[in-house]
Amino acid sequence: MEMIILLVVVAVLAFWLVAIYNQLVALKNRQENGFSQIEVQLKRRYDLIPNLVETAKAYMAHERETLEAVINARNDASAGLAAAAGDPSNGAAIQELAGAEGILGSAMSRLNVVMEAYPDLKANQNMMQLTEELTSTENKVAFARQAFNDQVTEYNTYRSSFPPVMVAATFGHPNDAQLLEFEDSAAIQAAPKISF
Amino acid sequence: MNFFKAQDQAKSKTRQLTFLFVAALISLLLMANLLVAVMLSFENPQTNFAQTIAQTPPQIWLFISLGVGGVVAVASLFKYLTLRGGGKAVAESLGGILIHQNTRNPQERQLLNVVEEMAIAAGLSVPPVYLIRENSINAFAAGFSPNDAVIGINQGTLDLLNREELQGVVAHEFSHILNGDMRINLRLMALLHGILFLGIIGGGFLRGSMFSRSKDRGGVIALGIGLLIIGYGGTFFGNIIKAAVSRQREFLADAAAVQFTRSNKGIANALKKIGDHSVGSTIENTQAEQSSHMFFGAIKPFAANLMSTHPPLEKRIQALDPSWSGKFEDTGSQTRQSSNAQSSALASGFSGSTTTSAPASQSELLESIGSANLAQAQVLIHNADAGLLSAARDTFEARGLVYAMLIAVDADVAQKQLEYVDANAEAGVPNHVHRLLPAVMNADQEQKLTLLEMAVPSLKELSARQYERFTGITNQLIVADQQVDIFEWVLHRILTKELYGHFVAPSRSSGNISSLKRLSPELHLLLSVIAAAGIADPQAQSSAFDAGWNLLPTNKTKTFTTVEYFDYEAFNNALGKLRDLKPQLKASLMNACIHTALADGTLTHDQFALIKGIGATLDCPLPPLGKNPQ
Repeated sequence: MEMIILLVVVAVLAFWLVAIYNQLVALKNRQENGFSQIEVQLKRRYDLIPNLVETAKAYMAHERETLEAVINARNDASAGLAAAAGDPSNGAAIQELAGAEGILGSAMSRLNVVMEAYPDLKANQNMMQLTEELTSTENKVAFARQAFNDQVTEYNTYRSSFPPVMVAATFGHPNDAQLLEFEDSAAIQAAPKISF
Repeated sequence: MNFFKAQDQAKSKTRQLTFLFVAALISLLLMANLLVAVMLSFENPQTNFAQTIAQTPPQIWLFISLGVGGVVAVASLFKYLTLRGGGKAVAESLGGILIHQNTRNPQERQLLNVVEEMAIAAGLSVPPVYLIRENSINAFAAGFSPNDAVIGINQGTLDLLNREELQGVVAHEFSHILNGDMRINLRLMALLHGILFLGIIGGGFLRGSMFSRSKDRGGVIALGIGLLIIGYGGTFFGNIIKAAVSRQREFLADAAAVQFTRSNKGIANALKKIGDHSVGSTIENTQAEQSSHMFFGAIKPFAANLMSTHPPLEKRIQALDPSWSGKFEDTGSQTRQSSNAQSSALASGFSGSTTTSAPASQSELLESIGSANLAQAQVLIHNADAGLLSAARDTFEARGLVYAMLIAVDADVAQKQLEYVDANAEAGVPNHVHRLLPAVMNADQEQKLTLLEMAVPSLKELSARQYERFTGITNQLIVADQQVDIFEWVLHRILTKELYGHFVAPSRSSGNISSLKRLSPELHLLLSVIAAAGIADPQAQSSAFDAGWNLLPTNKTKTFTTVEYFDYEAFNNALGKLRDLKPQLKASLMNACIHTALADGTLTHDQFALIKGIGATLDCPLPPLGKNPQ
């Protein structure tokens, strides 16, 4: 009799643990899917920036430094993305990407300020198209980032709730996942405009 | 095969299976009791077997039976609950990676295009697609209903198959979705898990006894071994049942793939390539074992016995292509030919669209439910505006597309709606609404609904919070003019069915109502609305109603009553009740609806939308009609 009670208790306990484990895995998967969506958009952005710089070069030869800064920041961010995409659960890599994105953001805004002085460039058809596409891509980055952060929050909340918090570390979920916050995120979310 | 008959068969098949498993479980319980009896008689060597049993208090047997039965039941239930997550739970447990709708990888793009065409051809919303990182050629479909279905494809399938072959494989998977096989598969998985769990517990006891020094050690070992035998023995027989069911469904799905693609070449060549390829369709992930019956090809190389979930490859190919030599070419890793299949398929789609498609009569229209009209789907996609297409395939822009579809023609209302979008939609989305609006206004209703179905997997990529905001805005746009018209209703129906099921909880119908007796008011409302939709002449409305009503298997007589306005709440409530009809009765109902709509020989826009919405609610996937509503 005791044996049977024990058996049932063990079984129920096992199911319960498996349920927690499954939920943790599912939430983590969802979060990784969320990150790969950001990756798609950021890649698109990193592809557009060199084109933009190339077009700008023809008009603003004297601003070599500004342009180089943009390209360097873009390369750093691109490398940061590759590292983070390899393991989206690595908080340090995510933070590094966020930092590199912040530098790229400020380099881009400096470029925008400088471009104010070149009305011909403003009127360039190609430039207008690139800017439009860049704006749209940045909207999408912000949006994908929002989805990712929602999923991260959901994962972290579940992980640190009771009872999962007791077993999460044992099941290979020792740390909270890292939110992807860009330094200029307020600016991006408000109205990403490269106005010139 | 007829869609509704297949649904009925799938249901009764599931019942038979459950019965078989209950029988298996009872024999397991008997075995467990016998085991205990044998153990007891060993412990008391002075009495004989019969005496031991007579001396044992009868409660013991009850406890044993309840214990073992309880464990199996709980374990099955538990697995079933995990699987309730639907297809994505299965795909994720197999290590699947969701392919984003806006992917720029050409292989993945092609795959999504093929899935999209097939879904639209079958009248289903486009399911999410997962990529499995295995180099063999294989694929699966999983889910409880078409709403939560997903498709999984191995990397090897993408690398080695050309477009036509890929199409064959995808069509095979869609047949599983349409024929209710997925549901059977998931139930099988849950039941088998329950029995297997006994064995796992037994293993646990054995391991535990290694560390135990207590007097009872012998008993624990015996119990462990006993459970192990019962559990794995049960699993063995369970697997035989599972394999037998699966083999039969595979032949059916192969045949359906030929019917859907109107060609046996694609799927036959795909199977031949599995034979040619060095790793064939083998899956290495150990998790795949319990879902082996869901895959396109056998996941283990040695086939042709009781335990194989798939018929031998040779037999499947022979059934599809009788002229086949029976020999595989040993090409090792043949790479995929860069094929022009896409353009040629499209070309044939155009040339064929006037002759092969276009269901001529009501009965053909009904017959087409659960089938697929690939040529017509390709034409529909091809004719859609490029900007709208790419918007449907992008999570960000898809919302703009849906908002744009809801903008009214009336200038005042439109003005109000656009102001609302500008103020409330996420940053950047209003731009897309304004950009897409002219093209959306130009698109006809069938195109709009097709685009909506294409946008569904993109919208499923929203986060829960983004989804809430999206539905909030959608609802506001719908009620902006203080009324809900039929197009708005069908749009809302499709979104609710697909997205509510994805984000909150899939809605399921019991399918148990076997008589129309008590449903007269609901049926009356349904047919009255259809009869009046877009038709002004009261005489025509009345005779259209009669045309449908007389086909219903009910002996009550009802006559047409004028519908003052489209009361969507009453309509939804009526459909909510009719959802639980048995598949064959749903067939009669769809038949009546179609006859009512086509009574005067024309199908109005509103009637088309109504039928589409009814089909979506009742889980009767309607393939493209092939003739435009007027």
